[in-house]
Amino acid sequence: MDLNKLTLFGMVKKRLSWLTQRQEVLSQNIANSDTPKFRPTDLRAYDFKELVRRESMQLNMNTTTPGHLPGSRRRIRDFSSEITRRPFETAPNGNAVILEEQMGKVSETQISHQLTTQLYKKHLNMIKMAIGNK
Amino acid sequence: MDDILKTMRISSAGMRAQGTRLRVISENIANAGSLPQSPDELPYRRKVVSFKNALDRSIGLDTVRINRISDDKSEFQMRFDPNHPAANADGYVQTPNVNTLIEMMDLREAQRSYEANLNVIKSSKAMINGAIDVLR
Repeated sequence: MDLNKLTLFGMVKKRLSWLTQRQEVLSQNIANSDTPKFRPTDLRAYDFKELVRRESMQLNMNTTTPGHLPGSRRRIRDFSSEITRRPFETAPNGNAVILEEQMGKVSETQISHQLTTQLYKKHLNMIKMAIGNK
Repeated sequence: MDDILKTMRISSAGMRAQGTRLRVISENIANAGSLPQSPDELPYRRKVVSFKNALDRSIGLDTVRINRISDDKSEFQMRFDPNHPAANADGYVQTPNVNTLIEMMDLREAQRSYEANLNVIKSSKAMINGAIDVLR
């Protein structure tokens, strides 16, 4: 059984990869909190539209005879990030990172990650219960 | 490499950069009283660090690093001390352009940035542990 075929598990997987990628972007912002002219970036919010785009964008070539070359699989673009356009404040050296804001986002990401893994566990336990393992 | 491990690399690079900054600050403070030996010599000149975000080819990531350690071009201070061997004809000695208060503020800032990076590593670690716990 492929767990990813269950909608919830697929969702959890995508959500986790979004969260880890966001953590990477945020750590980049914090590491550069003193770099001149650095502007913070953040991932675009993970919403329904994004989900649909990623689900429906993957179109693959069909091989009808064995002689056909399999068309290269279109790579799903990573989650897109954007530069914070109107930062709250900018230091004289052009740096627009606010540590407090970034730390807040980091803990937000951590909590969401925790929530998602707990959700995953819960559903795994439910399946285990259904197959009579408990 | 996994995204979350990348996070650790980025943050540790940030910590390393702040460490170098700390070293330069301590150099400045230690040399705040380094006076010249003779009137034609110059005293210690304050150093400043600047950072840049550049690609590290070995891990394929942008990491922060020291751009350059340059000299602070501001003017030296003067102190009236006619008995000093480095005093000029008017009895003044040139002293370093280090302001200990500014250095202390810079030190605090470096410390805060270091702690912020450390906290990101802690947070990433908690996330990894959470993911590993799913296996249990």
